[in-house]
Amino acid sequence: MDGLLDEFGSGDAQARAESWRYSRQALRALEQQSFQSADANVSVPQALIDRFDWPQTRGHRLVFVNGVLDATLSDAGTSGAIIETDAVGVHALRFAGKGVMHLVFVNVATAMPSRWNAAVHIRVESGKAFLVEQHVGMQGADMLGALASDFTIADGASLQTATLGDLPGSASLVRRVGVTIGAGSAFGATHALCGGRFQRFDIDAQLTGAKAQLAARGVFALRGREHVDVHLDVRHAARDTISDVLWRGVADGRARGILHGAITVAPGADGADARLETKNLLLSPHAEIDAQPVLEIYADEVKASHGATVGQLDERALFYLRSRGVPLAAARNLLIAGFCRTAFSRIETTDLRGPFEALLDAHLPQQVDAGE
Amino acid sequence: MTMLKIENLHVRVAGKEILKGLSLEVKPGEVHAIMGPNGAGKSTLGYVLAGRDGYETTQGRIEYDGKNLLDLEPEARAAAGMFLAFQYPVEIPGVNNTYFLKAALNAQRKARGESELDSMQFLKLVREKLAVLHLKEDLLNRAVNAGFSGGEKKRNEIFQMALLEPRLAILDETDSGLDIDALKMVADGVNAMRAPDRAFVVITHYQRLLDYIVPDFVHVLADGRIVESGDASLALRLEEHGYAWIAQRKLAGAA
Repeated sequence: MDGLLDEFGSGDAQARAESWRYSRQALRALEQQSFQSADANVSVPQALIDRFDWPQTRGHRLVFVNGVLDATLSDAGTSGAIIETDAVGVHALRFAGKGVMHLVFVNVATAMPSRWNAAVHIRVESGKAFLVEQHVGMQGADMLGALASDFTIADGASLQTATLGDLPGSASLVRRVGVTIGAGSAFGATHALCGGRFQRFDIDAQLTGAKAQLAARGVFALRGREHVDVHLDVRHAARDTISDVLWRGVADGRARGILHGAITVAPGADGADARLETKNLLLSPHAEIDAQPVLEIYADEVKASHGATVGQLDERALFYLRSRGVPLAAARNLLIAGFCRTAFSRIETTDLRGPFEALLDAHLPQQVDAGE
Repeated sequence: MTMLKIENLHVRVAGKEILKGLSLEVKPGEVHAIMGPNGAGKSTLGYVLAGRDGYETTQGRIEYDGKNLLDLEPEARAAAGMFLAFQYPVEIPGVNNTYFLKAALNAQRKARGESELDSMQFLKLVREKLAVLHLKEDLLNRAVNAGFSGGEKKRNEIFQMALLEPRLAILDETDSGLDIDALKMVADGVNAMRAPDRAFVVITHYQRLLDYIVPDFVHVLADGRIVESGDASLALRLEEHGYAWIAQRKLAGAA
């Protein structure tokens, strides 16, 4: 029985098996539970509301509770988006000109293990749109959410996204996004993924127009038995396109992180410039991070580079901090947080860096010496 | 009243004996220069004093303020007033300079039972010290040493020293890689901090720095121990004759 793999995987059986090989166990464990359809008619605790009710995004916010758009908590009156919902519940957001949108996906546990599905498509016709996607939840019965999105960025337009995956240990999330980036347009994404029982993020980006640009940044900071699996698939399909991927991973305890970064330069996509860098930090002998950069080039005059490292805290840096008086545990935290924060350098608005850094600080993986 | 007393220190690094019976006494208010050829053990001395892992003391002892220094963790040594200006300051991307320095200063103050500084008090102190080193304020908003030029890194070390106000500062080849202007700024920063209750150990390969930071004592470190001590004129004679001169004198003495 490959129920969830059939549902979440794409491609033929072999491609699915390969793409999910590090997360097959996690998926099987979910398959063995019987999830019922999540009740969206639940009240959201104030403590949870406080986590997304940012003053700077009021009037720019759509809130989904257990996968269903909640009219009471949402107010997107000044977001600049045209919002339509079709008969099967797919939400389409269109931006023309400047727009800011804060999408919140709230997981409210009910009495029984439950699951939800949602689909949100975004089209930027012109100008620059900014999207914050935030996943939050409360501890309780298991919850499995699935979010599917298409982002389309028309020629000359720009979409910048910031994604915060901040889930309790009882919630799992499978999020798939396909991105189409037109001529002269730009897509930027910054991710901070923490917590959760299992998080799977697939980003499938196509640079379809000449001089299209993609910059993807992210960090997973994993503790305990958390498991995050990120697949970035970037395809250069036009001339003079640029992609730049930078990822940081940290894991303590028995946590598991996967970053699969595949860049393909298609025939004819001459002049492409592709960069992929991932650095990872293991804080425990039982933690595991798999970093897989894959580069396939079928065009000429291409600039491409990739690098992946997995290592431990830098002993020299640790000694440097301690020699200035910073105690060992604080020095480690400073280094771990600093390592992750290099992934946030592209966040343009400083009032958004706050939530990112706060999320990270609250979920910072720890290095604990044997015997401590 | 001795601040630092090193007796017959033997130190092993990665299985190899580097310091072989080094002895040195430093009193408050004094500036000691340690000179010596490459590989003599100069940097090892700095690291042992600051408490770096992997430096194993096999013989001898180090007393600081009458206490066994080797019992203290690096952060406890810092709180007790020890400071090492690194020969190769470490780049730490993602860690903001201001945040790091405030954390360091307040951790030291807390360990000493002093009140911690709030952001305003800290910033005021920082601005005073930056001016002395001719450093720009934007340095504070950058990551620790990340992307700094060689000269900026060394000046940043001295700036940290000025901010943390240690009682014993060890400068490990702070002059290496500096042009003459940067060298003078570093020397000005050190000279401004000379005080009756503060001591310096200036480790250097060349005499040049000692034109600007005039030491009370000069020691020659060769093959893991101090082979010659004297006043500031010893540095000048070394400059004139080279380190081979010391080796010859040792041979003559032995014969």
